[in-house]
Amino acid sequence: MARANPVDLDLYERGALVRLAGVDAGYGETTVLAGLEFEARAGEVALVTGPAAAGKTTFTHLLRLALPPRSGRAVILGVDVARAGARALANVKKRIGYVAETPVFIEQWSAFDNIAMPLRLTGRKPRDYVDDVRELVDFVGLGDAADLPIEQLSGAERRRTAIARALAAKPQLILADDPTANMSPADGRRVVRLLSEMRRVGAGVVIASQDESLADISSVAHWRMDRGHLSRVSFARPEEAEAYE
Amino acid sequence: MRNALSGVEHALFWLLAVAAFAAAAVGLGARAADRMAVAYENQRTNYAIVRVIAPDGPEAIAAATTALGAAPLVTSAAPMTAGRAAELLRQWGGGEVAAEDLPDLRLIEVELGPAPAQVDVSGDIVAALAQGGVTAEIIHAPEGAAGGGLATQVRQFALWGAIGFALVMALLVSLAARTLAARRREMVTVMCDLGATRGQAAGRVADEAAILGLYAGLVGGILAAFAGIVVLLLAIPGTTLDALPEMILPIDMLPVALAPVGAAVAAGAGARAAAGYFHAQAARLG
Repeated sequence: MARANPVDLDLYERGALVRLAGVDAGYGETTVLAGLEFEARAGEVALVTGPAAAGKTTFTHLLRLALPPRSGRAVILGVDVARAGARALANVKKRIGYVAETPVFIEQWSAFDNIAMPLRLTGRKPRDYVDDVRELVDFVGLGDAADLPIEQLSGAERRRTAIARALAAKPQLILADDPTANMSPADGRRVVRLLSEMRRVGAGVVIASQDESLADISSVAHWRMDRGHLSRVSFARPEEAEAYE
Repeated sequence: MRNALSGVEHALFWLLAVAAFAAAAVGLGARAADRMAVAYENQRTNYAIVRVIAPDGPEAIAAATTALGAAPLVTSAAPMTAGRAAELLRQWGGGEVAAEDLPDLRLIEVELGPAPAQVDVSGDIVAALAQGGVTAEIIHAPEGAAGGGLATQVRQFALWGAIGFALVMALLVSLAARTLAARRREMVTVMCDLGATRGQAAGRVADEAAILGLYAGLVGGILAAFAGIVVLLLAIPGTTLDALPEMILPIDMLPVALAPVGAAVAAGAGARAAAGYFHAQAARLG
């Protein structure tokens, strides 16, 4: 396992949760992302918008450590991804909450049990986390549906369950890939507000979406992805950063 | 284990149980073959029948028995009763013989210890009897090296055949257990996304498969033991349940004891390998 670079740690301690410098990534022979320069900071929401097939999902795979960078430097939660060993990457993954475009659940389990899964993985006993999970269920507005098996939930309920699960272990970095897909505008806005709330506890939030209007919901650092190239559109408003500090 | 033994898991359980049953049954068969080979070998090399020729009278039989008791290699010597002779004649294909119809036999059954190949056991027995003042002949001599080795071959074949079959069944169990890992693929993917290492994710599925294999092996092993007892009762007329504890040695039950352990290990290993593969797929997309 590679030892953490002091410079990376220093950046991380000063709030840079993600820093990409000249990163390329892709699948097989195909390069999808090219020369990415990106930063996500603690207490900020970064919104990455772009058309379909622009590379947004690949970008979230890169940030959630499912896709290794081919070149450049990717430092996520203080760890240089290219140099870290499997255990170090697994430890970083535990500090990342991920809401997939099509979330995968254990379908026969209840939403409650699925939400509790990250806490069970840390070895906590049900009696220790049951109140926390109930709180999350209320926070995402899942209500009584939490006790139903996942296979019986609607699309919006599944999405809320995915968000609750992503937040369960109190992650430092939250990634959401098209979290408003197939939702009504009202539900979509509510989901983005929920995710944005997490900056108040110091987490960094990265949302990838086709919906440009989400930038109006909350103060976000707005980035645009186009054909694998990322560019900054706007910075987060200072008053939001002050609210965090 | 949530929703245990439903659907595919139920079918998998019985597949593992049948494989464990087959392996244990073949193992028990191999033990039976081994014991029969040992018994045959003992009877062939460690058994003799002596006929007392002179002097006449029951004193000669007693003297011969005493002389044999002092002879090297002889572990026991006992005059053959008419009832015993009738039983042997029946076993050797002589049909029904009434003990009371038999004449005065003047025979002595002798059991022998293991002898080096170059020793003339029959000659030594006759010499020992002569020293005791008894003239006798060997009418059923222990067989020498000629014709020997068959029992050893049978035992080797039984042992390696059973081991080979058990390994094939273990492979079958291992491959079948991969279906459980496939059923748990979504859990492995979720665990991977949540930061579980390959060992954690695969270990969880392997534990579940191992427990399934343990119970299936237990059921298969018990069924094999039950089938073995039934075969024993049917194959050896006159055998009763009360006699079984004396007939069955602890080592005979080894295949039954190994069935749950083997099934658990094979199922766990198969599921672990498959789950590890699924984790690797989920962990790295590029």
